[in-house]
Amino acid sequence: MNTTTVLLIVHGLLAVALLGAITHQAASVWLPAPRPAGGFVGRFRAVPGAAYVNAIIVLYLLTAVLGGIIYAEYRIEVRTVVEQLGLWAQNGSFELKEHFAAIGLGVLPAYWYYWRQPPSQGSTRTRDLLTAMLAFIVWWNFLVGHILNNIRGFGS
Amino acid sequence: MTPPRSFSVFAIVFAIVYAVVYVVAVEKNYALVTYHPAIGEFGAGVQPPRDGPAMYWYGWLATSGIAALIAGLLASLLPDSVTRRLWSGWTWATAVAVMLVFCYLLRNFFLR
Repeated sequence: MNTTTVLLIVHGLLAVALLGAITHQAASVWLPAPRPAGGFVGRFRAVPGAAYVNAIIVLYLLTAVLGGIIYAEYRIEVRTVVEQLGLWAQNGSFELKEHFAAIGLGVLPAYWYYWRQPPSQGSTRTRDLLTAMLAFIVWWNFLVGHILNNIRGFGS
Repeated sequence: MTPPRSFSVFAIVFAIVYAVVYVVAVEKNYALVTYHPAIGEFGAGVQPPRDGPAMYWYGWLATSGIAALIAGLLASLLPDSVTRRLWSGWTWATAVAVMLVFCYLLRNFFLR
C-alpha cells in the first residue's frame, strides 16, 4: 500500500466524519426536532448545531488539504483513464467537485462568524443558508469522490 | 468568545471577493503558481505543461485567497457607517451564483 492510498483512505474517513457532522447540523437548523425528541430521526435532528461548527471547519480544512495532496496523483493516474474511457459526465462531476470545494473554503470565515452570533441578532437566515450550502458541497464532493474512486478501482 | 463587528465585514467581503476572483481566475487562468505533477515541481505564475499535464488549481486558490484576504482586511478598516448596510446574504448568494456559473461553464461535459 503506497502513500497515496493511505492518504486517500484518511481523506475518505475525514470526509465521512465531515458528512455526518454537517448533515446533523443542517438537519438541526432546517428540520428542528420538537422537544423532547424521540426516536432515531428525532434525535438526529435535535443536536445543538453550534457545537459542531469548529469540528466542521477543521474537518473541512483537513479533508481539503488531503484532497489537494492526492489530487496530483488523481490528475495523472485517474483522470487520464476516465478521459480514455470517455466518461465525460464523471469527469465533469469531478471538475465541479474541485471548484465547489474551493468555493466552500471562501465562506468558512462567514460560516464561523454567523454561528457565533446569538439567534436574536437576525442573521440566522444567513447562518442557515451557509450551512445548507456547505452541506450540499460536502455531499456532492463525497459522492463524486466515491464514484470516481470506484471507476479507477483500488490498487489497479 | 464573541468576534468583533469588524470581523463580520471581513468575512462578508472575503466570501464575495474570494468567489468572484476564483471564477475569474479559472476562466482567465490567473494562477499564481503552476504545479507539474509528473515531475513534482511548482513554478511561478502560469506555465505551459512540462513532461505531463500542468495543474493550475493550487494557483487559482492562491490568487483568490490572497485577493480576498487583502480586500477583507481593507474593508474591515472602513468606518462602521460605511459597512453597516453590507448585507450578510452576499456571502451565500455570491457563492451559490459562482457555483451556478461553473455548472454553466462545464455544461459540455454533461451534454456530449
